[in-house]
Amino acid sequence: MPLNQALKGREYQEVSFPVERDHVVQFADAIGTDDPVFRDPEAARAAGYPDQVAPPTFVTKMQILTSGQVVLDQELGLNYAMVVHAEQEYEWRRPVVVGDVLVATPRIADIYVKGPHEYLVIEAEMKDASGRVVVIARSTLLSRGTAGG
Amino acid sequence: MRVAVLRFDEVNVGDRLPPLEKVVRREDVKAYADASGDQNPLHQDDNFARSVGFPGIIAHGMFSMAHLVNALTRWAGDPGALTSIKVQFRAVVFMDETLVAGGEVVAKDDSTRRVRLSVWTEVDRAGQRVLPIKNSEAELQLG
Repeated sequence: MPLNQALKGREYQEVSFPVERDHVVQFADAIGTDDPVFRDPEAARAAGYPDQVAPPTFVTKMQILTSGQVVLDQELGLNYAMVVHAEQEYEWRRPVVVGDVLVATPRIADIYVKGPHEYLVIEAEMKDASGRVVVIARSTLLSRGTAGG
Repeated sequence: MRVAVLRFDEVNVGDRLPPLEKVVRREDVKAYADASGDQNPLHQDDNFARSVGFPGIIAHGMFSMAHLVNALTRWAGDPGALTSIKVQFRAVVFMDETLVAGGEVVAKDDSTRRVRLSVWTEVDRAGQRVLPIKNSEAELQLG
């Protein structure tokens, strides 16, 4: 079953994501980095940051929360068993630090067909409490073999 | 400031990112699932993975991307140096494979002091060089 093209541009509910100290350490452990700026606020301050720094891809955690709403949208018709993560893009305007509360409104940036497959592009602009953009995340999901019919 | 921070003037087009190796273990992939919140059974349940045509569980694409980003920020000496990355996931990664992150500087912008790299990850699969991440780029802001 093809995806519902009419949902191109649809926006979803705003997600709020507080960046917490323990989660940052857990993430740094999981990706196997021992840089002290991810673990120690003093080391981070000594390196010029306001607080303990989140590894750049820590925002994947928020992105999973935001894109969850999209992939579960019944009107979209996505069969998650057929989905492959095809592309991922991040643009950082500044590093994320502990104490940030990021908010984002995920949207379907595009739905397109290439050969037998369909591609779903989900975009989320993550902003801080002052409304400034901190990170832009763009995920392209490939829906295998669902284009025809 | 940190002493190990890479300077724009030290970098030349054609420079290679020091390759960063990681043996992908089941427990690492589980830890990544828990830390990221991506609990897709494809990355935890061998029976499920086999039901969709793989010999066993595979690592998250984002797991490989995080490893690639580690290689970049280690090279720069500062996690804040990374301004953008765009990757294409082109092959899967199985358990106990050795994932190697690599890259090469392809452009330098003197006015912004930013450098652009072509980046990839590779594994040796039965003598074949397989690139789980390829045709991908990253940009870093250097001092």
